[in-house]
Amino acid sequence: MTLTAILIVAAALFGIGLFGALSQKSFVMLMMGLEMMLNGTLLAAVGFWAFTLEGAPKGQLLAILVMAVMAVELAIGFALVVAVYRKREADVIEGIGTMKQ
Amino acid sequence: MMTFALAFAILILVLALGIWFAAVLDGVFSRQLSGHGTAGLLAPFHASAVYLTQQRLRTEAPDQLNWFLSIAGYLSVAAIGLAVVPFGPDLAVIGLDTSVVFWGACESLIVVLVFLHGWSPNAPLSLIGAYRYVAIGLPIMLPSMFVLIAVAIPAQSLDLRDIVASQESVWNVIRQPLGLPLFLLLGLSLTLRGPFDYADSDDLAGGTSAEDSGANRAGWQVARLAMLVGFSAVASTAFLGGYLGPVLPGFVWVIIKTLVVMAIVIGLSHLLVRLPVARMLGLIWKILLPISFLDLLWAGLVALA
Amino acid sequence: MGRIGGTGMTDLLFYALSALAIWSGWRVFRVDSMIRATFALMVSFTSVGGIAVLMAADYIGVATVFMMAVEMMVMGLFMVMFMMNPAGLNPMQMVHQYKFSIAAGVLGFVGLATAVLLTNFPDNPLPENRDTLRDLGIELLGGSMLIFETAGVTLLATMVGAVALSSRRGRFGDSDAGAAPPGLHPGGEPAGRKVEKGGGHGGHGGHGGHKMNMEKTKQDSSDDPHKGHGNMSETEA
Repeated sequence: MTLTAILIVAAALFGIGLFGALSQKSFVMLMMGLEMMLNGTLLAAVGFWAFTLEGAPKGQLLAILVMAVMAVELAIGFALVVAVYRKREADVIEGIGTMKQ
Repeated sequence: MMTFALAFAILILVLALGIWFAAVLDGVFSRQLSGHGTAGLLAPFHASAVYLTQQRLRTEAPDQLNWFLSIAGYLSVAAIGLAVVPFGPDLAVIGLDTSVVFWGACESLIVVLVFLHGWSPNAPLSLIGAYRYVAIGLPIMLPSMFVLIAVAIPAQSLDLRDIVASQESVWNVIRQPLGLPLFLLLGLSLTLRGPFDYADSDDLAGGTSAEDSGANRAGWQVARLAMLVGFSAVASTAFLGGYLGPVLPGFVWVIIKTLVVMAIVIGLSHLLVRLPVARMLGLIWKILLPISFLDLLWAGLVALA
Repeated sequence: MGRIGGTGMTDLLFYALSALAIWSGWRVFRVDSMIRATFALMVSFTSVGGIAVLMAADYIGVATVFMMAVEMMVMGLFMVMFMMNPAGLNPMQMVHQYKFSIAAGVLGFVGLATAVLLTNFPDNPLPENRDTLRDLGIELLGGSMLIFETAGVTLLATMVGAVALSSRRGRFGDSDAGAAPPGLHPGGEPAGRKVEKGGGHGGHGGHGGHKMNMEKTKQDSSDDPHKGHGNMSETEA
């Protein structure tokens, strides 16, 4: 379990998340892609903390901030999903094409 | 490795005895308080024999994998919750220094598993039960986590072993009086009982277990009772001093206190009324959560004084 | 069990958990059933939490499992609410720009992996027997308290914002007072039930202050007894 192995796993998770975020039509699946990317980021942050920071606590703090970002993004994202659905009955990305002006 | 396997086997045995005892107590309370239900020492075995020999009914296009996983997962989470309880000084099957957060993770996994249990049969009443439960089960975790943090403050540790050790002078139920009542409400929610039984409620014809039959039904009921055992053990550890006690050995005290908490929870589940979901939501967010803040504030002030 | 870089058992667990994380992450976007996708993502997060515990970041690992179970639960609720095919009973491919996104994903992975393999990272491993939990606690409320409190206020703003965005009652009327299903022919009447003025839910409001906006929609299904349909009794003996 070296830093390189952990970072490659994190890169794989990030790649899968990027694929998901770009390919999915539905809002909720798009958000799952974003969460996946943050998953990879979280793993990379913890890996760096464990192997290159000598256990300085600020590394763990970064991981906790990544988790807070995930929570914030999820909450606001779903609030927006609900709001957009109410206004335009749209639950796929193509449905909000009219927002482009 | 061997000691871990032995400890785990003993844990399963304790869990099985606890499940049987909880079922008997449940029957006794039900008979006394509402007049129906079967009381008797062998009643649980009769009931499970009936379930296991029943034909298993199938719904249309169920999610078989998640159905199985939800029942097996519920039972596993109950066993894992029991595994972090210390039965003596430094004598827990899983010894973590973040046991409180680990228990919180178990709580949240239970909400997930109950939702999956309601989702899998692909039936409307089950899904309504699952949705109602999620609406209640997620917020009820918040007061429980604040109450556990309040318990962790005098111990200066998130480890259940240290929390028990910090109760040498006085039990947490006495020095933090708001804690145990709030935690018992969580227990009612985790085990789908009484006022928090939105998942398996009678007004949904059984809710998430409306379509359960045969071995699935037996498994789910056993898992609920196992969760009751696990929860009671954690409550007795966090608030009633765990293995601390004068004459008897530590693990006997744990068992006695667990049984006391189990009896209280089962009694409450038969005595308290279930509110409509919207009212219960209001109750949790507007009353129980501020009370848990008060509890945490109280614990903090005592620690700083 | 040895912690980072330790015994073979740790390495074995690490490879198993990584494989599980990547496989379940891939399955998230390949299964037909949306609920399975949501909980496959949860499995992926749980594996990452497990790897964090292996790296002696106990709190982060367990807290990841805790948070992600709750988040995926909420996501599952939204799946069932908004998606037309949550169980995947009619398999359909809801993707767009498929080839481009595969290329982007692969390129992202290859680029990052190349950067990782070509960089010389400093080697300052975590000392053994370091009480990481205590360090984290002291840091959170000591040196980095400003960061922590700012995150707290941000989360509060998020809660308020989420409720404001998704609240049914706005300043100028109900949020769905203007929404109606599309007409049978352009500009015509919508099929089925007519949308009442005012959204039809006058008596319920004021559920402020919580993040879970799914409660609004769920409330509709449990709301009927208040309107006197009486098919569900609420007082339990």
